[in-house]
Amino acid sequence: MSDFTEIENELKKLRPIQPSAQLITRVERELAAVESDQKVVMPERFRTKWVWAGVGLAAAAMLLLFVHLRLDRSAQPQPKIVATSPPQQLARPGASVPSQARSTIVPPEFVPAAATQVVYRTEDEGLLFPTGSDQPVRRVRAQMRETLQWQNRTTGASLRVSYPTEEVRLVPVYGQ
Amino acid sequence: MKDREEVMENVATHEDWKTVFSELAPGLVLFARQWVRSAADAEDVVQDAFVKFWRRNHKIDNRGLLYATVRSVALDLIRRDSRRARREREAYSDFEQAVEPQFRTEDESERTLALAIDRLPHPQREVLVMKIWNELSFAEIGEALGVSQNTAASRYRYALTALKKDLLPQ
Repeated sequence: MSDFTEIENELKKLRPIQPSAQLITRVERELAAVESDQKVVMPERFRTKWVWAGVGLAAAAMLLLFVHLRLDRSAQPQPKIVATSPPQQLARPGASVPSQARSTIVPPEFVPAAATQVVYRTEDEGLLFPTGSDQPVRRVRAQMRETLQWQNRTTGASLRVSYPTEEVRLVPVYGQ
Repeated sequence: MKDREEVMENVATHEDWKTVFSELAPGLVLFARQWVRSAADAEDVVQDAFVKFWRRNHKIDNRGLLYATVRSVALDLIRRDSRRARREREAYSDFEQAVEPQFRTEDESERTLALAIDRLPHPQREVLVMKIWNELSFAEIGEALGVSQNTAASRYRYALTALKKDLLPQ
């Protein structure tokens, strides 16, 4: 590069024309607008602020969760166990259960309040021919959790029973 | 420009964008003038690029990226222009006449030098502008242009050779 020293020095004597004074004002206005919208944070401070904001939010969330759990536990009356029976002996809400049987399983002051069934796994076990049938069926096994709930309208106490169930369905397969 | 390092250090610690922008603006506008015809357009490009760069929270001393942003905004401006076809034809096929770096020339020798710079092929002039009036390293120039450091250095040497030949005809 030493051959170019002279020409480099000549070039460095040339001065670019200065930009207009309005340029800085315009940039300043633009940056101020951005900052007022809180869309920009100074480069060096950005990461630090963001990290601390994240830590603060996480701490606040933990605190809220903790308070909520404590309040929930203290405010909610403990469910009263009024009967312990094998699930299959309990009357399903909405199901037709003989009144005599029902009265022996669930105390009469409790009325059905809710019933949920959550399927959490299904498995297609393939095709098979049921005995005595020439039409194939597909066997589908579903595993579920059912939850039944009764409530005493007088006291507000509730009885909830949850148990796993498994169901096998035979779905007829029809040819095209 | 002799205090550039000091300014950069100041920016890193105090984030005084106005100080660093005042320092860099003439070179940035000169750089932008390679793609647009008027100083006003070049200033628009520099303004957009600087704000964009700042918004993205890039470190201000990442000059390769800053100049790449200016270049990108300038090329976007050309593409977006309603007279796109004509502008692109002028910008690319007739580049050497269309782009005129602007200098404060005080005597005939400076005017001759400025005209010689205008006659340089665009890739060489681009590197020359970044090296001489913006004081970027070849590594930074390479980053800004998306070429290797060696390519940037070669273009610079070709530019100086061409200028020497132009100014001192055999």
